Amino acid sequence: MRTFEFTNRLRITLLVGIAIGLICLGLTWFSASDDGFHSRFWSNVLHNSAFFTMISALAAFFLAASVTAWAGWYTVFKRVWESMGLFLLFGLIMMGLIGLSVYMGWNELYHWNDATSVENDQILDGKKGFLNKGWYFFGTLVIVGAWYFFATRFRALSLQEEREGNGNDFQLHRRLRFFAAAYLPVFGFTMCAMVWLWIMSVDAHWYSTLFAWYTGASAFVSMICLTILILNYLRNRGYYQNVTTEHMHDLGKLLFAFSIFWTYLWFSQYMLIWYANVGEETGYFHTRINEYPILFYGNLIINFLVPFFVLMRNDTKRKMGSLTFVAAIVLLGHWVDYFQMIKPGVAHTAHEIAVQEAGGHHGAETKQLGAHDHGHDAHGHDKGSHDHGNDSHGHDAHGHDGHGHGHGSFNVGFSIPGFLEIGTFLGYLSLFLFFVFTSLSRSSLTSEHDPFIEESLHHHV
Amino acid sequence: MSSYISPIREPLVTGNKTYHQITEDLASPTEKAPGRAWIIGFILAISMLAFGLFCIAWTVWHGIGTWNLNRTIGWGWDITNFVWWIGIGHAGTLISAILLLFRQKWRTGVNRAAEAMTIFAVICAALFPGIHVGRAWVVFYFFPYPNTRGPLWPNFNSPLLWDLFAISTYFTVSLLFWYTGLVPDFATVRDRAKGFRKKIYNFLSFGWTGSAKHWQRWESLSLVLAGIATPLVLSVHTIVSFDFATSVIPGWHTTIFPPYFVAGAIFSGFAMVLTLMIVTRKVLNLQDYITFAHIESMNKVILVTGTIVGVAYLTELFIAWYSGYVYEQFAFFNRALGPYWWSYFGMMFCNVISPQFFWFKKIRRSLFWTFLLSIVINIGMWFERFVIIATTLARDYLPSSWSYYSPTWVEMGIFIGTLGLFFTFFLIFTRVAPVVAIAEVKSILKSAGDQYTGPNAHAHGHGHSHDHSHAVDAGNDLSHNDDANSSTGTILTMEDDLKKLEGIGPKIEKTLKSAGIKTFQQLMGSEIANLQTILDEGDGNFTGNSPESWPQQAKLAFEGKWDELKDLQDRLDGGKY
Repeated sequence: MRTFEFTNRLRITLLVGIAIGLICLGLTWFSASDDGFHSRFWSNVLHNSAFFTMISALAAFFLAASVTAWAGWYTVFKRVWESMGLFLLFGLIMMGLIGLSVYMGWNELYHWNDATSVENDQILDGKKGFLNKGWYFFGTLVIVGAWYFFATRFRALSLQEEREGNGNDFQLHRRLRFFAAAYLPVFGFTMCAMVWLWIMSVDAHWYSTLFAWYTGASAFVSMICLTILILNYLRNRGYYQNVTTEHMHDLGKLLFAFSIFWTYLWFSQYMLIWYANVGEETGYFHTRINEYPILFYGNLIINFLVPFFVLMRNDTKRKMGSLTFVAAIVLLGHWVDYFQMIKPGVAHTAHEIAVQEAGGHHGAETKQLGAHDHGHDAHGHDKGSHDHGNDSHGHDAHGHDGHGHGHGSFNVGFSIPGFLEIGTFLGYLSLFLFFVFTSLSRSSLTSEHDPFIEESLHHHV
Repeated sequence: MSSYISPIREPLVTGNKTYHQITEDLASPTEKAPGRAWIIGFILAISMLAFGLFCIAWTVWHGIGTWNLNRTIGWGWDITNFVWWIGIGHAGTLISAILLLFRQKWRTGVNRAAEAMTIFAVICAALFPGIHVGRAWVVFYFFPYPNTRGPLWPNFNSPLLWDLFAISTYFTVSLLFWYTGLVPDFATVRDRAKGFRKKIYNFLSFGWTGSAKHWQRWESLSLVLAGIATPLVLSVHTIVSFDFATSVIPGWHTTIFPPYFVAGAIFSGFAMVLTLMIVTRKVLNLQDYITFAHIESMNKVILVTGTIVGVAYLTELFIAWYSGYVYEQFAFFNRALGPYWWSYFGMMFCNVISPQFFWFKKIRRSLFWTFLLSIVINIGMWFERFVIIATTLARDYLPSSWSYYSPTWVEMGIFIGTLGLFFTFFLIFTRVAPVVAIAEVKSILKSAGDQYTGPNAHAHGHGHSHDHSHAVDAGNDLSHNDDANSSTGTILTMEDDLKKLEGIGPKIEKTLKSAGIKTFQQLMGSEIANLQTILDEGDGNFTGNSPESWPQQAKLAFEGKWDELKDLQDRLDGGKY
């Protein structure tokens, strides 16, 4: 079967998934656990949008890297990466919408986007040149737009190659290589800027030079997981019979190797900050270890121990059961990784701003407060009443630096993903798959005129 | 490894080589008297080494005060050179381990020399920690043994200790890897040698006989070592970067250091491989084994790693501003615009700007430009370490202790000495061992030799029964032959590999064979309509396949007209006209 038929049944299943996602987002907006800024809602949107945007950008990136490196093995299923890359269109829309919401001030996702805080905070004030709503909105549009442009070029040239053949001089493939090579530095430089802006700046005071690469590695591993899952689904449906165990084995190796690489980056970032123990930096991990221990340790267990021990053997990479199991777990694991990158910062910002609105200009000096408020509709509360039911712990995190992170309490949706988060994830995943399957159904599954097609068809490790 | 080679790929062994010629070309340099260029080079290298040894003796005799280190500048050229040499070593491990795992065939042309370079570079590097402590006779403080000297003279206890382990592990594994690769080649040299030379190589080759069992074990060992060496590529320079990044010195303490040091190390390592190999291939006439395709690939690695390093430089610079941490901001202001501005801009130009020339194919494939830029990059990567170490230490927190560091003749002399040591080793290496791995080049000949792939491919079986390979389909065992008189011709009537025809895969072949069509001869006489019926009734969905060209293809295959068949297949579209 050379072309993929996007059956109605699958379509409906995915539409139901999207509907679940929308319902969960709606429920989040109206749920009692959300605060007055709808921090849970907005951070869920940001979390999933950034996660899937990065996945599709890295699919395009890895395709480009493979083309540039004259790799041959992946050619039979390169349509999958092309299609995943095209999802950047949705990345553009979703991140553009978040940019718009930041620009219009619809939410309090970012501490630096609150004029009063910036005024009273020398650090935030110093970052205005980079952390400002105009750059966030327009920078995101231009840069993700540029990524999308490259993804469409890869696809268009590949389809043209399919229609017209490649001839003896491989003219189309050479043009593809031109665009692929150009995308590598463009993405390499701009990806860092986007990650700092979208994700690192939710902890607006904190900084780490390694952060962008760490985030990129996380998205790369997720991209490989999704590739394995999609290919395996299609193979079970009778498509992609030319994608053999050898190809899956290589994807398994990539999953294994880059899970270790991700851990290497995790360790480098963590160990250096722990060892030097500079107050400006340790706050980030201090918060996560003390107030989000499930996320902090879970992240490492799922994303390192599982792939490392399961995929270390040769056969587990060649058996579809173990491979898809690990791919599914690790995909979820990296989704949790993004969750733990974003949620603590957002919760902290909401808290800071709530306190500020309730009690005047505190800026970063919240450690004066004895108790805290997780911001269950913090408007209208004054300084004295930070004791909502489940949420009346003191600040054990405060005191080690000037920007206390006042969220010692356990809160579903922040401390761990709740059902609403899982539902939102399902929605985004369904949207992603809907898009990828639509795109896959529009052309043959295997490009027959790629110069490396024979190598890929006879790939053997 | 895939036996199908894309027609777009360039050959990696040129000159229409046979196995014997490869042996001749690669083993002969070890058998001849050295030429004049070698002798001049060797005298030069030995002299540099001698001067270096003199400077080391001077340091030990007079003490570390002969260096220009002072209050805040505890590290100067010594650790700069140390990091630089360690970095250069990285290309060898990357080529031998990671490129092996990635099945990059071009590694075979340069892996031997690059691995040798790794070992020599690590030896040069290991010298510096030994002498930079000042009292070389208490260098055993490095080792973690129970301290008997009380709190005043503690053992090493920091990332510097990790360094000791990282580097000794690295050295050991690299040496094993290199030597494992050398064993079959030493055996080749042994088999050609006579007298005392034979005895030496006999000893060195560990009784290698070339039996299947030897090869099998050799290949497993190579893979195991590649698996061990791959994390080492990352770990060694990561731990070197920890020497800096675990501190709280502004400009040193930054989380991106580990991966960025690794990228920089690979970058400088490849530059050094190119510097050496461009000269070596010329002097030893290895142009057929280290081709422009090899040089271009290495230049691409340089472009990639140079740009990664560029991203890291800009990240550091940006985050220093972004952090709002004034000491960090000052450290970078000082690097770029302080008294050492020349080294910062030298670093930026050499490491980030200069590799960008490799975007142009003409420059990637130009020996002159490659050689020039490889030297520029070597200098740039030395500057990088100098920028990190000297400029940071020269101006610390306390302005009253600010100073300006410049090396004494002793420090420069030791650096020159390590260059001498490196080149002395390398020159000896080119005399005693094949500079290009004979066995490994032979292993890719059938898939990457220019007679099998690329524009001049013509060979596809010359009547040798083991030599049935051509560009589309190298190395599978054919049951038919273009030479009907050859011994293998008798099998002709049994069964043919129908998959050799475009449009026929394993499933269709099975279907056809179960329908009684087992040979090209039978297939060429079949009606297209009949074939279509067989497909339609066959077990599987072959709606996308059309048998229209099969009889014509089968006829060419039966007549052994492989060139014509290949031309036809190039025109065909999945077996369709």
